[in-house]
Amino acid sequence: MAHSFISVEKIKTRAPSLRGFLALLVVLAAAVPLLFVLFSSGQLSLQQWLNLWSNRLPELLWNTLSLAVFVAIGSMILGVSAAWWITRREFPGRRIAIWLMVLPLTIPTYVFAHIYTIMLEEEGWLGQLWLTAFPGTAIPEIFNIFGVTLVLVLAGFSYVFLLVRDALSRSQQDVEEAARIHGATPWQVFWRVNLPMLRPAIAAGIALVVLHVLSDFGAVSMLRYQTFTLSIYLQMSSRFDFQAAAGLSLVLVTLSLTFMVLERFFRNRQRYYGSGKSKKIAARKATYFEIIGIWFWLGLIAIFAFILPIAWMLSWSWQAWQQDLIDAEFWGYVSNSLTVSALAATLTVIAALPVALYHARERSAVSQGFLYLSNVGFVLPGPVIALGILSFVIAVMPSIYGGMAVLALAMMVRFLPLSIQAQEAAVQQLTPSIEQAARSLGANWYENLRRVILPIIKGGMATAWVLVFIDTLKELPATLLLRPTGFDTLPVRIWIEASEEMLELAAPASLMLVVGTLPVLWFLMREKSGK
Amino acid sequence: MKSGVTFLVFFSLLISQYAQAESLVVYSGRKDKFIKPVVAAFTKETGIKVLLHSGSSTSLLNKLKLEGKNSQADLYISNDAGNLEKGKEMNLFLPVSADIAKVIPQKLRASDNSWIGLSARARVLVVNTNDKSVDFVKSVFDLVDPRLKGKLAITHSGNGSYIAGVTVYMESVGKKKTREWLAGMKINVDGKVFNKHSKIVKAVAKGKRSVGLVNHYYIYRHLKKYPKAPIKIVLPDQGKKDIGIAWNVAGIAMTKYSKNKKAAERFVAFVTSEKGQYLFANVNKEYPAREGIAAAAEVPKAGSYKVAPVAMQVLGQQRNATLDLIESVGMP
Repeated sequence: MAHSFISVEKIKTRAPSLRGFLALLVVLAAAVPLLFVLFSSGQLSLQQWLNLWSNRLPELLWNTLSLAVFVAIGSMILGVSAAWWITRREFPGRRIAIWLMVLPLTIPTYVFAHIYTIMLEEEGWLGQLWLTAFPGTAIPEIFNIFGVTLVLVLAGFSYVFLLVRDALSRSQQDVEEAARIHGATPWQVFWRVNLPMLRPAIAAGIALVVLHVLSDFGAVSMLRYQTFTLSIYLQMSSRFDFQAAAGLSLVLVTLSLTFMVLERFFRNRQRYYGSGKSKKIAARKATYFEIIGIWFWLGLIAIFAFILPIAWMLSWSWQAWQQDLIDAEFWGYVSNSLTVSALAATLTVIAALPVALYHARERSAVSQGFLYLSNVGFVLPGPVIALGILSFVIAVMPSIYGGMAVLALAMMVRFLPLSIQAQEAAVQQLTPSIEQAARSLGANWYENLRRVILPIIKGGMATAWVLVFIDTLKELPATLLLRPTGFDTLPVRIWIEASEEMLELAAPASLMLVVGTLPVLWFLMREKSGK
Repeated sequence: MKSGVTFLVFFSLLISQYAQAESLVVYSGRKDKFIKPVVAAFTKETGIKVLLHSGSSTSLLNKLKLEGKNSQADLYISNDAGNLEKGKEMNLFLPVSADIAKVIPQKLRASDNSWIGLSARARVLVVNTNDKSVDFVKSVFDLVDPRLKGKLAITHSGNGSYIAGVTVYMESVGKKKTREWLAGMKINVDGKVFNKHSKIVKAVAKGKRSVGLVNHYYIYRHLKKYPKAPIKIVLPDQGKKDIGIAWNVAGIAMTKYSKNKKAAERFVAFVTSEKGQYLFANVNKEYPAREGIAAAAEVPKAGSYKVAPVAMQVLGQQRNATLDLIESVGMP
């Protein structure tokens, strides 16, 4: 009896401090790029700040914010409309439609940008179509805000779709019925009842889309649209002006943080509670007229967001195959991509564990602070994270430089927030009493971890692993700077081939990215529908 | 047991160094399809393996600077003299011995041989032969003529060759005149700039535009594919008082912290040899930097026209000033 008492005491004093220490290490690593930005921008003189402020900032702010607004509106229109039809009507091919709305997530923004650039040329599929339809007119230009908006909406609307679909399938019938009884038209019901109730989901979806817009590097640099992220990259790599780059990063971080705080604020104020008993809405069978309308709209979205790009990839991959360009070297890129993604996913999931566990146990200001700091990857653009990690590793532990560790570390910093979020829910099921019971039965910390903690949070860890794996597979800017010498991954090759206009090689690499993400997407969708 | 093995694999991957010690590491900003034949010929001749790390010239230089003495690179190849001179300014290179460097003319290499030019390209005009109304264009400064509104094709101002060209004009005629020139071109492009030189040539060949400012080899690349395309090359600024054609070179440098200096110098010796020079320049129809090596037959002979007397080093020294000028005009 006395023995078990001692054990309980021990857990209280020792275990959290070990976790706390590990969590501190991870958070420090995650904060490295932010410290780098603070340090470098601190070296800017007042005059340099003023120059930045008057020369660059007005244009960058305008470009970035207007793009964010355009993309948010576009994603909302596509995402909400698709989610609405799919949850509220029963029509033939509904399951296929769901997949078609999610599949664009497998295509990175820079691949969208590259494919649309090619397709809108005179000899391109869309270019030819346009010239047949409107002979004598100029093909629409993609190198402007509308082109970038198109690309980012197609690449991002699925997030809004997923979140809104979730909310709609949980929403309840009685409110709508009440409105209908009082004489509201279906349109009025949508505007005055559904839309306000969907606001939290839409806000979350748009927040995700906007954060992606702020940190996007691939599409804006291929389409040469000067946002903060592109401008920061150019300051670094064509002027070698790291201080100005850091100054701009600081402004961008402030912008992203403001946005996140605002989003959280509005989401907290908008909460709707339904009574638990009321019925879930059943999807109504669609009329023939509706079926045509639904498939016209969803088909249109699917054609531009997935079918055309995938057809393009297949067609050029076929040509590459026939020219014997799919050789051992190509499979080498595939294996490099898979290796680094698996490595980064594993590292990130392991690193997220102490942070999530520590917060679940402590719930203190310190642990909350750790959580906030681990979000650096969300708000800093990829090139800056890479730069910060590179400078830090070279200054502090040069011996690991040049290997995969630096790249994996940068991926860890970029995708840590994703991983922590995915694991947090699972970790919350872990009550202290379970652990205390294990300890009192004589389990040491290792057994406790292996036989008690891990089995409980396994599901959350798997999801986190999968999410980080996908994002690393598609990651471009940090990989460009930090990959080991001569170590080319699929995104790097797409980047190089696209700049050399070697369509035959960019296509199969893009196709492999889609193929590589598919099983993972399938896994996630199954998880979702299982709930 | 199984988890122990996984653990070991995981950590050995993490600490593994991908590059093998015995191979020569080249950071190359040149297109893969142009540099790969050269590398293959070198390996065949010397038996030295080469690991190619490709990227854009500027971001590779950036990487080299950040890496400092931890860099694995032995050689740096850039498509633009501006980058090479910038690297020299940042003290990233190791001078090549004079014995090797001397075969390249002095104005095509760094003053201390810390980089060596390998192949040169000329900024020329591509003109549509069917449009007689643009026959008056004899100088790059004619490109601002109001008659060319909507007929001029240039690249966007992020292009390295374009920036280098502007530097040469700025050095030759001064900032004020260059600024006016840029502003005039901004009007004449009529809202559309091109993201690739090859697309400029294509647009001129199809008659969408009548005049384009490009590197000479893009014209011959197009003509090789479409021999009947109605385009011709115009060598600008050849009059007595004119400034001459802007040149730029692609070149190579040995990195300061190379751990493989001997092999690196052998590579430089190879690409400056007669054979190496022919191979390096002619895959892209550029001018071999070494005198006495012929460029592709269809290309105007080097020495048969006037070249602007701006040393290649200036392209690096004045690059930021050029970028400032371009930005102040707000070129797209």
